Amino acid sequence: MRVLLIDDDEDLRNLLSRYIRAQWADAHIDSYDPLQRDLPAADFPLSSYDVLVLDYMLGRGDGLEWLKSLKQRSDCPKVLFLTGAGNEIIAVRAMKAGADDYQRKQELTRERLITSLRELTANPVERTVAPDLASRMEGHALGDKVRIPGIKILHLIGEGGTARVYLASREDDDEPLVVKILRHEIVTNKKALERFMEEYSLVERIQSRHVARIVGHGNYDSHAYLVMEFFEGGDLNKRLAGQSVSPPDALRFFRELMFALGDIHEKGILHRDLKPQNLMFRRDGSLAIVDFGIAKNIAAADRTNAGEVLGTPRYMSPEQVQGRALDLRTDIYSAGVLLYQMLTGEHMFDGQTAMEVAMHHINTEPPMLPERLQQYQRLMDKLVEKDRDARFRNADEVIGFLARNFEQDTAGAVDTTSRLQ
Amino acid sequence: MNENDCKVIVQKDLEDLIPVFMRNRHKELDSLRVALAAADFEQLRQLGHRMKGVGNSYGFTHISTLGKYIEDGARSGDRASLQARISEYEEYLSKVQITYE
Repeated sequence: MRVLLIDDDEDLRNLLSRYIRAQWADAHIDSYDPLQRDLPAADFPLSSYDVLVLDYMLGRGDGLEWLKSLKQRSDCPKVLFLTGAGNEIIAVRAMKAGADDYQRKQELTRERLITSLRELTANPVERTVAPDLASRMEGHALGDKVRIPGIKILHLIGEGGTARVYLASREDDDEPLVVKILRHEIVTNKKALERFMEEYSLVERIQSRHVARIVGHGNYDSHAYLVMEFFEGGDLNKRLAGQSVSPPDALRFFRELMFALGDIHEKGILHRDLKPQNLMFRRDGSLAIVDFGIAKNIAAADRTNAGEVLGTPRYMSPEQVQGRALDLRTDIYSAGVLLYQMLTGEHMFDGQTAMEVAMHHINTEPPMLPERLQQYQRLMDKLVEKDRDARFRNADEVIGFLARNFEQDTAGAVDTTSRLQ
Repeated sequence: MNENDCKVIVQKDLEDLIPVFMRNRHKELDSLRVALAAADFEQLRQLGHRMKGVGNSYGFTHISTLGKYIEDGARSGDRASLQARISEYEEYLSKVQITYE
């Protein structure tokens, strides 16, 4: 492994070198300080490296300009471009300029760096690659293959159980977008495919700031895809990182979630899979819900869903665990479980198995909030009542309760609750 | 800044990099002071950006937090805020306790 590191920060270069050498003891690494040296000249032996790691901000120069210039050379190796977190437009520009991968610098862990370098240097005909690497390589190849009119798929950024997720943008601008391509094994499952396509048709009907904006959807060569807005602020799971958030922040996020639920319920749609990974933040801090993969029209759910258990056990309502017909109060319960986690940093129920966790929702009283959070106990009680008739009846009721009891707590928060016209 | 902000856990195999890292942070603090005195907001922005990038990577999350504040303060030209953050950075560097695990 031969790596060229171009970064103006000595400490970053030292750190990345250390990570690489810990993985590949015989790696040859050259540090290139752009504060001391200009863009590598034409006689610089670029081809002697397997990977070039290039930072966006080079102190004296613009990493994107360097990237464009270096990628014009036929001997340029694979490039891992480092961008700032929350600035995906730079990632879009870098990928369009020829970068082979990008990483957010502030989030670049040892594991992410090594995974990226492994992918960039993997031999596609090698038969002994690890399964996770093979899966990601397959994902990269799929992203290269699928054609979506007006959209350029730039890079695989995530792999979920039902879909692969790509950074993308329109061909005529650099606004970051997300393309989700359904896994092939799911496409053969007609019901799962219907759910995926339903996600689009449901969300399309909702014009709300609190719901992910869908740009398009369709099929390419039997691959179902969805194009949606990119969330630069990441998801609630990342925001929590196993910790609590301050009560004012928790209430603000929860209040926004209630506006989201109000908007979707008004259209007759249940989410049914609320969890931290499905609550996304925009750059301005506003929150939107995504992944209506199992969302169902309320009327249809009433008729067809009895006996079917879908959702994430930690956040399921008792009636969902029991496979009963659902109404919008199931989402109210799940939102309550999320609020508990935001306030305390802990899961409401834990267990060795998914089933054990799920059964707690039916049989176990929710733990009381700690003393310092006692002012939220009454709210919590009414959100996670096992008897749904004793719960808040809808999101508007919750919003009214918040306004009456916790106006101070959410004062000063940016108002991101206006609806799209 | 609270007490916990000053307690940093660094991976054991990075221990020998920390003296250089800390030396660079003190140099950075000097550069911040000079840039503020000269009202060089572009330099302050770049220094803040660098702090933001490098702090988390080594486990010094508070350096990244301060870097973000300094970057934002430099963008808006808020001298009072920048002065306060630079003072906080100085205090942090004098108090930080590093554990290697």
